[in-house]
Amino acid sequence: MPPTTTTKKSTKKLADIDGELCGVCQACATVCPVNAIEVTESYLIVIPEKCTGCGVCVTVCPVGAITLIER
Amino acid sequence: MSNENRVIVVGAGPAGSSTAMGALRAGAAVTIIDRKTNVGIPVQCGEAIGKTGPGLAEINVPDESIRASVRGFRVYSPGQITVDYAEKEPSGYIVDRRVFDKELFARATEAGADSLLGARVLDITRSNGVVTGVIVRHDGRRNTLKAKVVIGADGVNSQIARLTGLRKSYKPADIDSCFAYEMANSELEVTDLMEFLLGNEVSPRGYIWIFPKGNGRANVGIGIGGTVKTKTAKEYLDHFLKHHDVAKRQLSQAKVIETRVGALPVCGPNKKNVVDGALLVGDSAGHVHPITGGGMGYAMVCGNIAGRVAAECIMKEQVSAKHLQKYEDEWRKIYGSEFEQSLKLRELILKTDDATLDKLAGIVTGESIVRMTAGKKVKIFMKAMATGDKHLIALMNELRKLRMV
Repeated sequence: MPPTTTTKKSTKKLADIDGELCGVCQACATVCPVNAIEVTESYLIVIPEKCTGCGVCVTVCPVGAITLIER
Repeated sequence: MSNENRVIVVGAGPAGSSTAMGALRAGAAVTIIDRKTNVGIPVQCGEAIGKTGPGLAEINVPDESIRASVRGFRVYSPGQITVDYAEKEPSGYIVDRRVFDKELFARATEAGADSLLGARVLDITRSNGVVTGVIVRHDGRRNTLKAKVVIGADGVNSQIARLTGLRKSYKPADIDSCFAYEMANSELEVTDLMEFLLGNEVSPRGYIWIFPKGNGRANVGIGIGGTVKTKTAKEYLDHFLKHHDVAKRQLSQAKVIETRVGALPVCGPNKKNVVDGALLVGDSAGHVHPITGGGMGYAMVCGNIAGRVAAECIMKEQVSAKHLQKYEDEWRKIYGSEFEQSLKLRELILKTDDATLDKLAGIVTGESIVRMTAGKKVKIFMKAMATGDKHLIALMNELRKLRMV
């Protein structure tokens, strides 16, 4: 895990996407205030250096594929 | 490929393919690029498109994608009082989006568009502040593609919107979170109406839909507000299918043949959709009905305009925001007031409690509301007044301000 000092607002939390549940609708990326969720051709990735652990992505996920984990 | 007079369209959905067609017809060269390698997959939609609304007469819904024709809709109030809006003739279609998107894309390429699939946009290029192309990752390599105009048709999570600064991230209240099943063996009570279910219990800040797709197939889904924390969209839909009377009557034997997820902007169009050398169409422009969540018709009509205007601007060698503004002016002329009105109606519905929605449904049920004459509006208004219910009367007064009654 990268050190939490890489972002100003960093918390101890980090968004974690369960790739088996995720349907790549990108609801999470759409609401992420710091653009920490990137879309590849067929899946989503969380950029740990950007993620502030705010959890807004957890709420909008239609299938509950995102959880906040400890860094 | 020559970069002269070229439009790059990012996104190969209905917005992108329609934009490409509009630009090709007006004489521009077009390259459509998409992050995915399979156009139309995965489906993320209720698959309904109108055929009688403003502008829709000019668009071409591919015949081979049409699964059912619908005459209107049936709304279930929270207390399951039904209100039907049914025209005599079909007013819309339920399509198969896989076929629909692919066919529109194929037609655009057959009409002369080049395409690059599996190309992910990393950045845009600019010269003196004017957008001049995109940098993509394709086949493991970084490529720069130059264009006179770049058009973002890349959906709710539009990279072009972000990179041009036309939109930052959405607030959760401004999007709906969607989940749907395509089902077989359904026993729908009406096969030529779309069904909608409202209510805080079934679908907070949104609705559940049941759309007929012919041969016992159905598209059954839910959109809930992006701020809803009680359960996920999938949990709400699964609960509905298991416990709700309407589902038990029509879907008890139905089996899931596909699972779908999606997100929708429901806050109306972006304030601004053009910058120097670039513009946005479709979901990326916020061209989604704030209540129904429908967007395909807007995407196609506005895409056509966007493509044509972009081509015209290129021919005149004037691609600044000031000149591309013609696109904004044209689509606003067709849909501007529709979006404004439905945003107000959305706010009104969101602040109305379930009991009052039931009372409203109780007054309207059985009335034919397809052609709302002045006389009929007065009749409904008076019936509401006669109840003496202060919440219903307040709602009716608001609806009257919107000229709905």
